[in-house]
Order: sequence, then C-alpha cells, then structure tokens
Amino acid sequence: MADQNLTRRKALRTGAIGLVGLTGLAGCTGAANDLGFGGSEGGSLRIATNSDPSSPLNLYVSSGSSFDWLKDLVYDRLLAPSPYVEDPMPGLATETTQVDDTTWTATIRSEATWHDGEPFTVDDVVFTYRYFRDAEPNRYTHHVSDAPHIETIEAVDDETVRFSCAYPAPTLADITFADLPVLPKHVWEDVDDPYTYAEYPVGTGPYELVKYESGERLRFTANEEYFGGEPLVGEVVVPIIKDHSTIFTALETGEIDTANVAIPPETVDRFEQADSTEVVQTDWLSLVEIRTNYEREPFDQHDFRGAVSDAIDRENITETVTLGMARPGIEGYPHPESPWTAPDLSTPYEPDRARSTFDELGFTDDDGDGVRETSDGEPLSFTLKVASNQPTWIRASEMVASNLADVGIDVEVRTLDPGSIGSLFDSRDFDMYVSSISPHGVADPDQFVMSHRSGYLWRKDIPYPEWDSLYEEWRETTTVEDRKEVLFEMQRLFNSQPTSLVLWYPEPRWGFNPEAHDAWAESPGFGIHHKWSLLPADERGTAVTRSFD
Amino acid sequence: MVARIHHIGSKVAEYGLTLVAALTVNFALPHLAPGDPLRYVIGQAVADLSGAERTQLLATYGLDQPLHVQYVDYLFGIARGDLGTSVMFGQPVASVLIDHLPSTLLLVGLTLVISTLAGTLLGAWSAWNEGTGTDGALLVALVAANSTPAFWVGMVFVSVFAFHLGWFPSYGISAINEPDGIIQMLISRCIHLVLPLATLTLARVGGIYLVARGSVLTTTGADFIRFERAKGLSERTILFRHVLPNSLLPIYTRFTLQLGTLVGGAVVVETVFSYPGLGLLIYDAALARDYPLLQGAFLVLTITVIGANVLADLTYPFLDPRTGPGHRERGVQ
Repeated sequence: MADQNLTRRKALRTGAIGLVGLTGLAGCTGAANDLGFGGSEGGSLRIATNSDPSSPLNLYVSSGSSFDWLKDLVYDRLLAPSPYVEDPMPGLATETTQVDDTTWTATIRSEATWHDGEPFTVDDVVFTYRYFRDAEPNRYTHHVSDAPHIETIEAVDDETVRFSCAYPAPTLADITFADLPVLPKHVWEDVDDPYTYAEYPVGTGPYELVKYESGERLRFTANEEYFGGEPLVGEVVVPIIKDHSTIFTALETGEIDTANVAIPPETVDRFEQADSTEVVQTDWLSLVEIRTNYEREPFDQHDFRGAVSDAIDRENITETVTLGMARPGIEGYPHPESPWTAPDLSTPYEPDRARSTFDELGFTDDDGDGVRETSDGEPLSFTLKVASNQPTWIRASEMVASNLADVGIDVEVRTLDPGSIGSLFDSRDFDMYVSSISPHGVADPDQFVMSHRSGYLWRKDIPYPEWDSLYEEWRETTTVEDRKEVLFEMQRLFNSQPTSLVLWYPEPRWGFNPEAHDAWAESPGFGIHHKWSLLPADERGTAVTRSFD
Repeated sequence: MVARIHHIGSKVAEYGLTLVAALTVNFALPHLAPGDPLRYVIGQAVADLSGAERTQLLATYGLDQPLHVQYVDYLFGIARGDLGTSVMFGQPVASVLIDHLPSTLLLVGLTLVISTLAGTLLGAWSAWNEGTGTDGALLVALVAANSTPAFWVGMVFVSVFAFHLGWFPSYGISAINEPDGIIQMLISRCIHLVLPLATLTLARVGGIYLVARGSVLTTTGADFIRFERAKGLSERTILFRHVLPNSLLPIYTRFTLQLGTLVGGAVVVETVFSYPGLGLLIYDAALARDYPLLQGAFLVLTITVIGANVLADLTYPFLDPRTGPGHRERGVQ
C-alpha cells in the first residue's frame, strides 16, 4: 500500500510538472504576437486560401482560374480587369483599336517596367501572344488559337502591336486582351520546359512574389513603382489552410485577416455579430450545375434534356440547401450577371410540361410501377454522382432525385470521392453528376462557344445542326452588337435543351478584419480578393463595381 | 555462424521479393483508379485541348506509352533515383517528397516516442495496480482516447486551446513572420507543434497502453516474479528490473510496426492543422491523380515498412535471445 501511495504521489507530481510546463509554454504564448501567430503582424495583410498553387505561380502548373487572383497580383493584362466586365479599362495597353473586321492594334504603356527592372516593350506582348498560341498549350491557348484565332502578331513600331485574325474578331479586345497575362520575353524565351519551370515569376504587377513555401504560404511585397499606383499594403501573405473549419477559426482568433473562401452559410450570423470581423456579400459569377452525359442515350435527345430541366424545382432546392445564400438557377446558363448573358434566359419549374415531353418522346410508364420505360421496355433509371465532401450538393441531389421521381424518372444518388468525380468528364462514365464552374467558364462568352467545341457542353465532332449554324453565323459577325445577338440566340437554344442544368448561383459572403485592411471592393468574378482592393481608390476605374470601405 | 548467414540470406531474399511485389503493385494501383492527370496540369482547360495538344501533353509526361513500357521506365528510374516529375508540382518527385519529409518525421517521430513511453509507463503502472481505482480510471480513459477519432480531438483542441484560450495557434508549422532570435524562433515552432502533437499522441497512446498493460499482467503472474518477491526485493525493483524488461517484446513489436507508418504521416491531423506533411501530400496527390507523386510516395512508404520489419527481425534476438537463428537451430536439433 505504501508503495502504491508513493506511486500515486509520484504520478501527481509528474502530472503537476507537466501542467506547469504546459502552462509555461502557454505563458510564452501570452506574447502571441511576439511569437508570430496572434493579431496583425507588422503591416502584413494575411489572406488565407484553401488551395495550394503547387508552384511559385508558374502559369502552366498553377493554371486553374481559381489562382487568377494571385497571378494578377504579379502579372498584368493588356486590358483590365477581366473579360467579365462590360467595358475593360486600360492595363498594359493604353489604347486598343479595331482596324478592320479581323485586325486590331494595341498601344502599350511605355512607362511600365518588369519587377527585375527591365523595361516593358512591344516585344513582350508579341512574344506572349505567340507563346500562348504556338508553345505548350495552357488554359489561355484557345483565346489565340481557336476562339478567336489570331494568325499574325507583330510589332508595328516601339509602341504598337498588330493582331490579324483568321475570321472577324469584334471582341478581341474585350475578351482576349482582358484575359491573357503578359509575360517577360527576356525570361520566358529561355524556358525549355514551362511545366517544370520553378523560378519566381517576373511581372509588371503591383506585387512581387518573394517566397513560396509549398503547403504553407506565399509572400508578396509591394511594387512601389507600379504604374497603377503604389499599393496600399506593403506585404501580402497568403497562408494555405486546407481545412475549411480551421480557416474560419483562424479568422476568429485573428491569425488571419480574411480568407478567399466563402463563409459557410450556417456561420454567417456569427461573423456578422463578431466585433473583429465584417461580412460583405458579392456575386461570384460561378454556378453549381448538374452535367448530363449528352453522348449517352437518352440524354443525347435535346428534348429529353429539356424535359429533365423542366422537372427540377430549383427555387425549393436552393432555399432548402443554401439557407438562402444563393440565387436559384432559374435564369439559365451562363451566369445572369455576366454582361455577355442574354437578359431573358429562363429555366422554370414546369413538371407538367416535363411529363408531356416525356410522353411525346415515347417514354411512358406501361407497367404502372411509377417509372417510365423506353420503347424497348427498359426503365428510365439513372445515376446522379456527387462528391462525398460536398454535403450541400448531396442534399440537393436527393431533392433532384425526388423531383425526377415525381415525373417518372428513377434516379439513384451515388457519392464518390472528389478525385473520382473530377475524372468523370474524361472517363464519360456517368449519366449525370454535380459540379461547379468558375467565372472563366460562365462569364467569358468565348469560353461558352469554346465549351461547345471542346466537350464541356458539347463536342464539335457530334452533329448539332442548329448549334453549328449559329456558330457559323457567330464567326461571321463583325460588330460587338451583332456578335452579342448571335451569342444570345446560342444561349436561348442551349437553355431549351441544356447539357448543364444550373441548380443555383452562389452569393458568397466574405469575412475580413477591418482593422487590418478596410478598402475592399468587388470586382466581377473575383469577390473582394484581387489586386484592385489593394490599390488606391482613384486607380480602380471600371475594375470594381462596389467599394466596401 | 552458418545458420546466421543462412538466416540473413533467406531474409534478404524474402524482403527483396516483397519489395519487387510492392513496386509492381505501387506501379499498377494508380493506373487502376479512374482519372486523367492532364486535368490537374491545366485544370478545366483540359476540355479546351485539341487532339494534337492533348497528344503533345501526354507525350510530355510519358503517359502515352503502353503500360509495360511505363513499368520498365519506372523500374529503371527508381534504380537511378529518378522518381519522375510530379504532375501537380511540375518538380522532381524526390524533391517534393524531401520537402515534405522533415515536418512529418518531426511530428510522427515525436508522437511515436512520446506515445510509446507514456503508453508503456501507464500500462505498466496500471497493470501493477490491477483492480484498483487508478487502474480502472486509466483503462477507461485510455480506451476512450483510443476510440476517439483524431479529427474530432483535433477540432476540440483547436476550439479550446486556440479559439477560447488563445494559447496555441490553430494551424501551420511556423509563424508567418518568425520572431528574431533562435530561441524565440524555436519556441514559436514548438508552440505550433503542440496541438497536432498532442492530438496524434492522444490518438496513439491508448494502443500502446493496452499492449503494455496486457504484457505486464502476463509477466507479473510468472513464477520467477513470485520468486523475486520471495527474495524480498522491493516492488519498484521487481517492476522496473524484472517485469518491464520481460514485457517489452510485444511493446517493441507494436513500436516497430508503427515505425513503418512514420513517413505516411497522419492525414487527418495534418489536414485539421494544415500541417504540410507527407500524409496531406499523398491525399492531395490521390485527388489530383498525380501518378508519379503517388508512386514515389508509396515507394517511400513501402521501403519504410519493409525497413521497419527488417529492423524488428534483426533486433528481436537482442531483446529475446530465443528468437535468434542459432537458438532456433539448436531447438530443432
């Protein structure tokens, strides 16, 4: 017994020592700022992200449009800010002129310099556009090689570059010039393999990337000589935090100042009521969709897809699963807030029309089991695949299955890991699956056309006479107005027989600590996290639509 | 001596065959999963590629070759130390793995040492006090810890110690702006390590505790312990000099098995605390279908597991001479 008491006493003593040690360590953290994880940190603005670009912003490795906001800190485009606005403003080009139906010129900004001190010249523009067209393909390639197709790119003099296209290109400036980042020729002409290029980027933008630590953070310092004004923040640090709940804990504890991740709907109230954070809402120019396999029967029938679209009650689904933090997808595809989207698109809930269409197509329930059959007697049973890490999408899928059951279509919701979902587009092993698409896909009109050629919405080698005829018409248009008119016709056709069924348009809420930075502004397609929020208000021009300061 | 050489030779052959089989499986597994790595190379723009562009990209990554050619290239590459290029990072796989290895070795290595020591001592103490309230409380507490998912413990720790108390950071491995001075920097790094380390230790200590408790209980009932008591030795001497050393074999087995998981990291804990280790890297590579990186990571895992087994095989005889080849030889005769 004595030994046992001794043991217990020792244990208590050991425990007490441990507790003191832990408290001592924690006591050190009383000076949390000194140790670098609490409060604002010496003028650094900390914007967390949940995606690792996997490289120091190499355009070929960090190629996804989800990294555009980071790449735009470093690089500039000829026009700004993006193709998602009605009227792009001057960027690295001070003026663009349409010479004739197929020819444009751009006058460059002579006072711009690269981060390494080299002057920005017309040769950089010529090199970049030729590189994107002729070298290894990347996400920008189609903007110079297909829609539109720029045949020749040449310097006219020290300030002017001429672009000659294979067919009329009335929107070359509004779209292509506003999308492609310009690269330094003196750096990139020596790059043998762009996919393994790992040097820090040299741009003309307001920030220079000075440190990339894989899985940890990116660190940018301000380019005080930036032609668009001296940045408001001296240093921007972008911590990479993969777990969403950890991101928002870090925002609450003050370990980060804001996050390029929308606040989950169920926690918006908490952040709105917190003293240390403010919450703002923006459009996102993205959408959540159900993609249908138009290469598989009966989704290859245009009217069948139209009837499936009619059967989905998007308003009920959106209200139920997004807690009202999104707009129901009843205004069709692409995003209704894009200046390039027809204002009269509509995809209403019409279950009776859906039933009639199915009847007319010969899909009837002859055996009375509640599920329609094909003429061969096969039941209309399909799978709807959805990523297992998206609970909102899973709930929405169940509601879609219920809607379709009401019109006699049997749908089994099947959850898969996100990697497998991401692979479905290429494997084509699906009837339907839930996905989302970024502004590049649903606010860029050339991408809408391209998506019908590349396979995303249709494939150019599958006959589609109505679309093909509109496409030929689209190629022949010579003015922005005419092109828009044909584009709108294409969109109306698409929404009457959609291969992508829009469920809702997210309306994200962003949280930020106003003590750290309060000059946030909305730029279409970027939320509040973009270089314009970090530049003086009088330099923002048409790049922003709203300011929140 | 001959028996020892024969023993080592047969072990080398055994593990060599295991390695080749593991390499083959490592090569085959990623290819069996659905997915297109090109999607990760250029994201959604994979949809915009023309046939020629697609062919060009596939050739760049050697993905256009027949499987058997890719397999042979893979084996030759390993022999040269070339594990290929990560699709996700655009960098040599070996370099990506080496970048992420130190943080994982630190976290999982410390966890292994602390959980083994704590689990062994607590298990021995518990067994020595079998049937008492202390034993019962420890048993319940550590079985509960063993059964609690690590991600949940991590989230509770973040909520309590990072959010409410503000004692520790909620994420990362180092401060954004590290303090000046080596001591301050080390303290800062240690503080970042506390919550992930505590979470992972708590998740693993229960298993060691149960093994240690069971082993000590078995040894305590042995005749030689009764004999030591009869000699009048103190309880402490009996426990630490006689019981514990004779109970170590199962604990050591468990330790070496866990050693094999050392570089695999701890995916869940690394995710919750955004800790940039190999576990999180492997998870990301699986989502991105980054075949070269997956194969490289699996290779490292395989070698570690086999290495841990070799280590166990070679060191068992030091803990228990009865497991040595000479002893077994004599036993057969």
